[in-house]
Amino acid sequence: MKKVMVHPERCVGCMQCMIACATAHSKTRQLLTALMETPLPKSRVHVGAGLYNEGFPNRCRHCEPAPCMAACLANAIFRDPEKETVLINPDKCINCASCAMACPYGVIRFHEDATAPVGKTVAVKCDNCDQRQMEGLIPACVEVCKSNALTFEESTDAMKRKTDEVARSVSRGAEEISLSPAFSLLTAAKRAQLSL
Amino acid sequence: MDQKFEDLTITKDGQLLLAKAEKDQVETVWERHRAQQPQCGYCDLGLSCRICVMGPCRVDPFGEGPQKGVCGADADIIVARNLCRMVAAGAASHSDHGRDLVEVLEGVSEGTAPGYQIRNVEKLQRVAAEYGIDTAGKDPLPLAGELAQAMMEDYGMRQKQIRLVQRAPQKRRDLWKKIGITPRGIDRETSEMMHRTHMGVDNGWQSLLLQALRNSLSDGWGGSMIATEVSDILFGIPAPKPTTVNVGVLKENQVNIIVHGHNPVVSEMILKACESPELLALAKEKGAEGINLAGVCCTGNELLMRHGVPMAGNHLMTELVLSTGAVEMMLVDYQCIMPSLGTVAACYHTKMISTSDKARFPGMEHREFHPETAEKMAVELVKEAVLNFANRGRTYIPVEPVNAIGGFSIETIVGALGGTPEPLLDAIKAGKIRGAAGIVGCNNPKIKHDYGHVTLTKRLIENDVLVVDTGCVSVANAKAGFKVPEAIEMAGPGLKEVCGSLGIPPVLHLGSCVDNVRILVLVSALADALGVDISDLPVAGSAPEWYSEKAVTIGTYFVASGVTTVLGPMPPIAGSMNVVKLLTQGLKDVVGATFAVEPDPEKAALIIRRHIEGKRKALGLSALDV
Repeated sequence: MKKVMVHPERCVGCMQCMIACATAHSKTRQLLTALMETPLPKSRVHVGAGLYNEGFPNRCRHCEPAPCMAACLANAIFRDPEKETVLINPDKCINCASCAMACPYGVIRFHEDATAPVGKTVAVKCDNCDQRQMEGLIPACVEVCKSNALTFEESTDAMKRKTDEVARSVSRGAEEISLSPAFSLLTAAKRAQLSL
Repeated sequence: MDQKFEDLTITKDGQLLLAKAEKDQVETVWERHRAQQPQCGYCDLGLSCRICVMGPCRVDPFGEGPQKGVCGADADIIVARNLCRMVAAGAASHSDHGRDLVEVLEGVSEGTAPGYQIRNVEKLQRVAAEYGIDTAGKDPLPLAGELAQAMMEDYGMRQKQIRLVQRAPQKRRDLWKKIGITPRGIDRETSEMMHRTHMGVDNGWQSLLLQALRNSLSDGWGGSMIATEVSDILFGIPAPKPTTVNVGVLKENQVNIIVHGHNPVVSEMILKACESPELLALAKEKGAEGINLAGVCCTGNELLMRHGVPMAGNHLMTELVLSTGAVEMMLVDYQCIMPSLGTVAACYHTKMISTSDKARFPGMEHREFHPETAEKMAVELVKEAVLNFANRGRTYIPVEPVNAIGGFSIETIVGALGGTPEPLLDAIKAGKIRGAAGIVGCNNPKIKHDYGHVTLTKRLIENDVLVVDTGCVSVANAKAGFKVPEAIEMAGPGLKEVCGSLGIPPVLHLGSCVDNVRILVLVSALADALGVDISDLPVAGSAPEWYSEKAVTIGTYFVASGVTTVLGPMPPIAGSMNVVKLLTQGLKDVVGATFAVEPDPEKAALIIRRHIEGKRKALGLSALDV
């Protein structure tokens, strides 16, 4: 089964995933009209700034077992067995924030949402774009990512690729492999600036 | 002091006022910079293109995603086009500033700019003669009109080349002609740059960058040079004067007025009004001991250069200066004025006034200055500032000002040397002075405030490199105490001896950022005296904390004129290794100088010293291993 994979070393920090996520979870699902909706749609993936101001797309890992699910006394959090996605039922959510306290990654937010009853603040997090997937589309954050920091693939494929990357890096006589000389140069400059 | 503030700025007044701003809940540029992290990697690499609406487009630096924009432009073309547009914007800004001065010059000639006058007739005649105008027996006013007309021609397309290009050494002009980058018209080169970067015009990244060189020269030897020369004609040639710097120049017991921006057309009139006996009497009546005018940014530098008006701070200090609560009025014109200032001022009694018909800001009252009415408007505004003194709340002016000497024009430097650059050349030949460096440019929250400027300057002077500075660097260096004659104690033995005998500091303040052209004139004079090209001289440029498009243009005209220049922050070009290589290596074979990028000022100092020693060796002078 395909899953969203995060490759932090490729994140250029453009935050396109956040815009695409908010749009995908709006009523109209078009950027321009989404900006005029009430409530304003919000992203469920959050790009953080690392030690060197490099980007990191922080999204729900859909843990198994999921601490948020265990912490939810209202039984609002459940797992879609087919996609292995952890979902929140906005009708059942009582906005108690127990899930957020239990979440090790800090990816659960509380606000009004297009899927929730009008005026009700609920817990909101990544749903792996289940609506889009039902329509044969891939998750919006992956679709918009130009640098492949987010991919949607079989985990076995991703693991094989990573295994090969590691194997090549420890080959005898191998020089340090730069994914992108341009990005490495920029990163070096930014680190130098920050280290002053 | 809170460690977090020491991480942001090396200046004591900056650190203390950051704490005050935090207490007053004033948001600063550093917080907004933090909130912008991570900044978009595509944009930082120069790999995003918003030029046309088939896009916006991005090229994946990792090579797997899209490698071309919708139009087919690859990374080289996209990076080059973006950089070229930065150069065009910078050239447009300085050159438009110059245009405003030419209009005042014309107004003075026609008698429609009361309050302004020709302060230096000798310079008017000298520059007019350079423009091929017969000055014999002509009165200053009609001559000013003729010169203004001739300068206006420089902005258009009737000339084969911009007039003041002839100030460059013959070898340099021949080189520009050979590679086809002699600037033809000031506005023309900027227009052509914008045309070439339109979709489907110039898609040769090398030819685009050559036009960027020509465009920058149209600013350095055109618009900016006109701005400086006309300012000297209208307001006087700067001469060394004592002044003071840092936020301590604000006075507890006086009406404090700050000018911010770039054009002396506004600030000179404000200064005049501040000296008016009626307004001084009004200030006394209202309980203030006087009217204290201070500057921030380059219009402050313009006043410092000509009148010794004190400087309260540079670019990153502009918000913090207001958080003293001691400023009755800040008047701004244009360029580098953060649109946040109105919000900061709203926390205090400070009145914010915008003065230019082309620059408006939220939270400011707009009171337009025009040459016809500027004198009257200045008096009205200063009066309002005086009346605002009564509304002052608690103030916080936490430091004592530092002494400095500013106002070194080329005329006064050569004058101090006895009318010829020979003594300076002799000191360079003898190795007492290894060479010279122009340290210029802005502040940028990406670099610890003033750390780049002060560290680089310190390392260069202690190794006998004479430093000239302009713009925001000049304030940083003055605050660090480099601008008093006693600062020779921080210089190496050779520089100490030379500056000591002349009674000058080892770091000379040449003015505002348009005044970088004074550096071009100085290096031309040195090259001519030695019979070499500018690129043969043991000199270098640096912009350790640059942020603006204007700085890109300045760096480019330095390099195109033969001065190798080290940038602190990385420009948005790393997405194209071809462009990086051309700018940092390839340009050596084109214009005899290159860019380098080095955020660490300690390392930048080594790069500059190595470069200077290399040039000395090539000239047959004694050279050191660095």
